[in-house]
Amino acid sequence: MIKLLVDRQFPSKEAIANRRNFNEILDALPKKKTINSPWFYGAIGFSTVLLLILLNVFI
Amino acid sequence: MSMNLLYFERFGKPEEEIAIIERAKLNPAHFAPLYKKYHEVIFRYIFKRVDEEEAAYDITSCVFIKAITNLPKYEYRGVPFSSWLFRIAKSELYQSFRDRKAQRTVSIDSMQLGRVMEEFQIDESEHKREVLLKILPMLKEAQLQLIEMRFFEKRSFREIGEILDLTENNAKVKTFRALLKLKELYSKHNNQK
Repeated sequence: MIKLLVDRQFPSKEAIANRRNFNEILDALPKKKTINSPWFYGAIGFSTVLLLILLNVFI
Repeated sequence: MSMNLLYFERFGKPEEEIAIIERAKLNPAHFAPLYKKYHEVIFRYIFKRVDEEEAAYDITSCVFIKAITNLPKYEYRGVPFSSWLFRIAKSELYQSFRDRKAQRTVSIDSMQLGRVMEEFQIDESEHKREVLLKILPMLKEAQLQLIEMRFFEKRSFREIGEILDLTENNAKVKTFRALLKLKELYSKHNNQK
């Protein structure tokens, strides 16, 4: 149901400005996932080396 | 002066905004000047459409979070940045209505109601005013939105079109049809009395 409000009191310019908080917006932004674990990079390096060795052996 | 020039006069030159947007795409902290510039207009747009002030502040915050998150996808195509923000505000509003976090509200100024009555060519009287207030919620949401933006918020057809993703002409035609529907409801309701 739609509500009609006639001659409603609006918050003042100052009151709206007081509620402005850009840091709050920045904090609420979804964080980008970064992988910092050395195990992740180690696993990729190890599998690459293993793959190269296997390719050398079988081809 | 064309409508477009008037519009940019109100919100500033697009080149300055584009430069800020490009910087903000790389670092969201650079979005601060745009947040400061548009916070109030977006809040007022939302506040007019919800019944609670706190809900309006929450939805406004969601709009800016979404805007910054989606900023890398934003491309300037001649439409002011503010219209892109209003579109996000519109979708956030409907999301909160669906989630029942806020109630759809139409905030009307008595003076602006007089403008609609003028358009109807009916003289202002307390009874006629009451009839008009009774039939307004009977309009479909899309029609009510057009009446709201054109008569209660005094937006240009160009601006309405940009917010609703319509051409200026299409916005004009649809507003005219919404007004016709309102007139039809008004005479039906008046005849019943």
